[in-house]
Amino acid sequence: MVVVRIPSLLADQAGGQGTFEVEAATVGEALRGLPVRDLVLDERGELRRLVNVYVDGEDARRGDGLETPLAGAQEIRVIAAVAGG
Amino acid sequence: MGVLLLVGTRKGLFLIRGGANRSSWELEGPLLTGWSVFHAMQDPRDGNLYVAGNNFVYGGTVQRSSDLGQTWERSEGLGLPEETGLKLEEVWHVESGHESEPETLYLGATPGALFRSGDKGETWEPLMGLVQHETREQWQPGAGGMCCHSIQIDPEDPKQMYAAISAAGAFRTDDGGETWMPRNKNVAADFMPDPFPEVGQCVHKLLLHPEQRERLWQQNHCGVYRSDDRGDDWERLEGNGLPAGFGFPLALHPRDPDIAYVIPEEGAENRVTPNGRLGVYRTTDGGANWELLQNGLPQQAWAAVMREGFASDRNDPAGIYFGTQSGSVFASASEGDEWMEVARQLPPILSVEVGEWS
Repeated sequence: MVVVRIPSLLADQAGGQGTFEVEAATVGEALRGLPVRDLVLDERGELRRLVNVYVDGEDARRGDGLETPLAGAQEIRVIAAVAGG
Repeated sequence: MGVLLLVGTRKGLFLIRGGANRSSWELEGPLLTGWSVFHAMQDPRDGNLYVAGNNFVYGGTVQRSSDLGQTWERSEGLGLPEETGLKLEEVWHVESGHESEPETLYLGATPGALFRSGDKGETWEPLMGLVQHETREQWQPGAGGMCCHSIQIDPEDPKQMYAAISAAGAFRTDDGGETWMPRNKNVAADFMPDPFPEVGQCVHKLLLHPEQRERLWQQNHCGVYRSDDRGDDWERLEGNGLPAGFGFPLALHPRDPDIAYVIPEEGAENRVTPNGRLGVYRTTDGGANWELLQNGLPQQAWAAVMREGFASDRNDPAGIYFGTQSGSVFASASEGDEWMEVARQLPPILSVEVGEWS
């Protein structure tokens, strides 16, 4: 079981829920189980460019991306990149 | 029933409720905060609100509300198939389908994409006849991306539709969206080596008159045009009172097909209202002559109104409405003769549409 925490804008799109407990073997599997998967992943199932994902504080892009294994992981944080206006 | 203005802004949706005589207005919002509302409209068939909303991190979505914005549902699985080599960038415009198809809606998007929903916006399928059009290699993006921003349905024949893309031009289908014909004859593309190509025109807004189905109007990068034969041929209309042919928004009178409104800008290189004055220009003779309407509008303003930022209601006399990038909404209950500012200091306004509330 891993806890996924999403930003407030995404929580608004998930009926107000900002934290999810999911059973998943990889980061991708965990994200695909979210009700906001279409906002985190694009139509090819790839992580959107300005969405960052941290597994227990480690950037998943520095690991195996969506294939990053979750064995023993406690927490996934979905965070929007610092950008915009 | 009162007039409901749906005002899409770069920072959410605002609703403005008009009183019975359209002289008092009440602001509500912002709704859908965090979303850039490129276009919001109320489906006249069932009263549902639809929003084409984008977020720079989370992409483009369609949101639907059946309770005038209190709660929202997001569409599922919006995107382009892998074989196109394209990915959805932004959603631009939602249009109700024909009256005889109450569950059908259309969605325009970048890059040059048109979608249809057969379930009131829950799911969307791309219309591949346009997405993979044989002329696509000749299309190029305008400053707002290669956006499909105008979708018009023939009031009598649901199989006949129009779509306009910047900068690909105008297209018509006579078979319900299977095949699309470029309809850009005599529409200039002054930025191309051939100024009158088959496709590549930078149409900024295209509207079909709701009661005269042969008549189309378009505000283009290169002039204002009218067609009286369903887009087969176009006539350029500027001059005779219009200070410039360049502009983005366009509004039509709900009944009189000879009355249209534009808000010109100086030109492509200086996109503000001409001469530092905010003015609406109206023709009452099919575009032969244009008159400046400015009673109640600021006399000194370097404003800009985006392509979706202009609308008319169906009352008599007709109400005309527009919103500026500087966050003001102006309303006229007298077909443009007199104006009042009904909201100010909103975020940059991207769209204005008219609905109703009770």
